[in-house]
Amino acid sequence: MMSVTDNLLGNVFGIYLVRATDEEILKRKVASGGAVTALLVYALEKGLIDGVVTAKRTEGLEGQAVVARTREELLETAGNKWSIVPFASRMKAKIEEEDLKNVAVVCLPCQAQFFGQMRDFPLLESDFGERVKYIVSLFCIGTFAFEAFLNYLRMKHGIMAQDIKDIVLKGDFLEIYHGDSVLSLPIKEVYSYLQAGCLVCTDYTGTWSDISAGFVESERGWTVLITRNLKAEELVKSAEKDGYIELRDGSHVMGEVLKAAREKLARAQKNMMYLL
Amino acid sequence: MIMEKLKVLHVDIGGCEGCNVSIIRAYPKLMDLIELDISYLRKEEYKLDEYDVAIITGGACMNEPRILEELKEIREKAHTVVAFGSCATFSGILRFCRGGQEPRPDHRNFQPINSVIKVDYSIPGCPPTPQMLQSFFKFYINGDERRLRLFKVSADIKKLSGFDLIDDIVLTGLCIGCGACELSCPTNAIKLIDKRPNLVQEKCIRCGTCYIRCPRASQILSMGGAK
Repeated sequence: MMSVTDNLLGNVFGIYLVRATDEEILKRKVASGGAVTALLVYALEKGLIDGVVTAKRTEGLEGQAVVARTREELLETAGNKWSIVPFASRMKAKIEEEDLKNVAVVCLPCQAQFFGQMRDFPLLESDFGERVKYIVSLFCIGTFAFEAFLNYLRMKHGIMAQDIKDIVLKGDFLEIYHGDSVLSLPIKEVYSYLQAGCLVCTDYTGTWSDISAGFVESERGWTVLITRNLKAEELVKSAEKDGYIELRDGSHVMGEVLKAAREKLARAQKNMMYLL
Repeated sequence: MIMEKLKVLHVDIGGCEGCNVSIIRAYPKLMDLIELDISYLRKEEYKLDEYDVAIITGGACMNEPRILEELKEIREKAHTVVAFGSCATFSGILRFCRGGQEPRPDHRNFQPINSVIKVDYSIPGCPPTPQMLQSFFKFYINGDERRLRLFKVSADIKKLSGFDLIDDIVLTGLCIGCGACELSCPTNAIKLIDKRPNLVQEKCIRCGTCYIRCPRASQILSMGGAK
C-alpha cells in the first residue's frame, strides 16, 4: 500500500501493471493489457455488479452509451473511443430502464468527476450515486471535436470517417487505422482538433474514480491500474487470486504517469490563459 | 474512542422549509456525530453560547435589519458557518423577489448570506438531499479538505445559475457535451440540443446545481479559477 496523496494524480492506494489472462480479451483491439475488460468480466461473473455502462463506437467517431451484462457484451465495447457521448444523461435512463442496482461505469476523467461528485455529494433526490459501485476512469488526453477532426482527415489525408477502424496513441504519434493502411500523425498537430474544454482540463487519470486505467510507453501490452480506495484494491486483488488477471507492482511507472499528468496540466494552464 | 459530538446550530432566515425538512431527515443518521440545536426543537433562544458549526438556510432579506443582525450574531457564535441550500448560498429563487408580491409583499431584495457575513462552506441545491448533509459532516469531521474544496470555493461566490453555466462554459466553447447539467437540473430547465445544453430561461430558479455539477466548471472552480 502506497497511500500517496498527490493532487495531480489524486489519491493513490496502489499502482499495478495488469494483463488479462483471457486470450480472447487480449486478441480484441483493446488499448493495452485488457485489464479493465478482465476486471469487469470478473465483477460481472462473481455477481459483484449487475451491469457495466460504457460507450461503444458506432460509426466514425460517434459513440453511444450501452449496458453490458455479460462477458460477450462487454467484449463488444472494448477499445478506445476518442469521442464523448452525452453519457451522464443517458446513463440514468439506462440504469432505470434495465433496473440495475450495482453498476460499474467506464468513463473519462470528466465523467468520473461527475459520477464521483454525485456519489459523494448527492445534491438531488433524483441522484443515483448509490447504484454506482465502481467508477473506472481511463487516462485521457482529450476528446476530439470530431466534426473538425474528421473534416481535417478528409481534406488533408483523404480519409473518410466510415473507413476509420481504430485510433491508437503511440508515443508522440496518433495512428489512424483506416482501410488497409495506417496514418501516423504527430500528436501536437491534432491538439487543435480536441474540444476546447479538453484543452483546459487538468485531470489526466480521473482523480474522482475508484480505479484509473491506462498505459505507459515503457510497458506496452500491460495496463496501468491505479486503485484509489480499499474497495478497488479488493476487486483487483481478488480478480488476480481467481486467475482473471496477471498482476505485478507498477511503482516504477509512476514517474511516467506523473509526467503525462504534468503535461496535461501545463497544457491546461497555458490554454486557460487565453481561453478564460 | 468516544468523540465529543459537534455542537451544531441551525437557523432558518426565510425560505420554503425544504432545506429544513432535509436537515430534519438527515438528523437520525447524524445523531451520533452532532448535537443539533434546530428551531423546531427549541424555544426562542439558542441553547448555547458557542457552536462548532452553524447551518444557515434561507436568503437574507436586505430590508430586514433584524435578520442581518442575527446573521452577524451567528457568525460570532460559530466556528464554521455553512450556507445550506440555494437560497442561502446563491439566493436562488429569492432573486426573483421584487416587492409587492404575495405572500410577503414587504420582501423586495434578497441576497445570499455571504453578502452579509463570511461563510465557510456553501452547499447549493433546491433543496440539497439529507444524504448531502450526512456526506458533508463525514468529510468535515475527517478533515477531508480535498473533497470539500468545491463547497469551500463556492462560499465566496454570490451568484451561480444556468445562465452562468451558459455564459462561462457553453459560450466559451468549453462544454464537452457530457450532459451532467441536464441531469442535475431540478426544474428541467436544461435540455441537450446538438450535444450542448440549452437553457429555458423562465424555468431556471438559479439554484446553481448545474454549475456545481458540471465537471468542467467544478474543476475550474476547484482549481481556484475566479468566478
